[in-house]
Amino acid sequence: MNKPRVLLIIPCFNEQESIEALLREISSLREGYSTVVVDDGSKDSTYEKAAQLSPTIRLLINLGIGGAVQTGIRYAATNGFDFCVQIDGDGQHPPSEISKLLNAHKESPCSIMIGSRYLLNDSFRSTLARRFGSKAIAWSLNTLFKRCNITDPTSGMRLMDRAAIEFFARSYPHDFPEPISLAWALQEGLTVRECAVQMRSRNNGQSSIAGWKPIAYMLRVLGYIVLARVVGFKSR
Amino acid sequence: MHSNLQTVVIISIFALCYLYYTARETARQQLDIYDLIMLSTVAIIPSAFVLFPRLAEHLARLAGVAFPFVIMFGALFAILFIFIHRLTAKIHRLERDNRLLIQEVSLLKANEMLDSKAHHQQRPQGASGEK
Repeated sequence: MNKPRVLLIIPCFNEQESIEALLREISSLREGYSTVVVDDGSKDSTYEKAAQLSPTIRLLINLGIGGAVQTGIRYAATNGFDFCVQIDGDGQHPPSEISKLLNAHKESPCSIMIGSRYLLNDSFRSTLARRFGSKAIAWSLNTLFKRCNITDPTSGMRLMDRAAIEFFARSYPHDFPEPISLAWALQEGLTVRECAVQMRSRNNGQSSIAGWKPIAYMLRVLGYIVLARVVGFKSR
Repeated sequence: MHSNLQTVVIISIFALCYLYYTARETARQQLDIYDLIMLSTVAIIPSAFVLFPRLAEHLARLAGVAFPFVIMFGALFAILFIFIHRLTAKIHRLERDNRLLIQEVSLLKANEMLDSKAHHQQRPQGASGEK
């Protein structure tokens, strides 16, 4: 059986400090992963640095994380990849953990395999508000959708199979994409599972979801999840 | 109940000027015909109530509303609400189309650059007949 073609989608916005090291770390693994960096309209030299080491798509204007990830997914769909794995460009997701997602998928096939920070609840620590928000979103997904047992719905490290690639290439949320994409996928009948991964703290920059924002984020996401479940979701 | 001449003249001038302006914008395709129809009601409804003052009274009685002006403002509000709802949906649709278009152009540009890069890298191998 042929080795599956795996594409790593790396959405970036002003990640000039970390993108080069991340791409070098990926190539040092010698796992044969293909990569595509999606530069979401960075103002710094992210594009120049990434383009030297990997195929890079520069979005003409900033579309936000949802637009950047969907661009990478459309690239995967067009180029016939079997799997794609989304990882952050800030170095929070160690490339060595990608094999855990692939192995977990091999053991228990599904459309989306999330890399969970909380499944083993060991080393990753975030703020109280963020953990509360994440727990509330996970609870709503697990309650509203059958066969769903998620602990980390906001994780940006996830593997998608061909069915998920084709689905998300057509429709991907642009606001709060990680948890809402799960609701859309579950509503569409795709299967979602998790495996435990280790994540690092950010090397550079600051999260855009800080202070009281996680609470507002949680409320809006909950609204979208309930709507997706109650009113339904029809892919274009 | 009668409208006085002053009111009829003021409302008529407003209605004519407004209708002329919106019709001119539509002719220049700054607005579409649907917008013209919806926006015209802003001039047509007050004109109808001024020219036929008893109309508001009849409608108010039919609707069980105490004050006739509530009917006029209610009708205007309903039409503007429909108009705003339609505009909001249109903006979101355009925003989505715009996003897809930006992705498409960016993907095409990236593919073009990757192709030209691959072409440059293959040039030295050209002698061996490989493409």
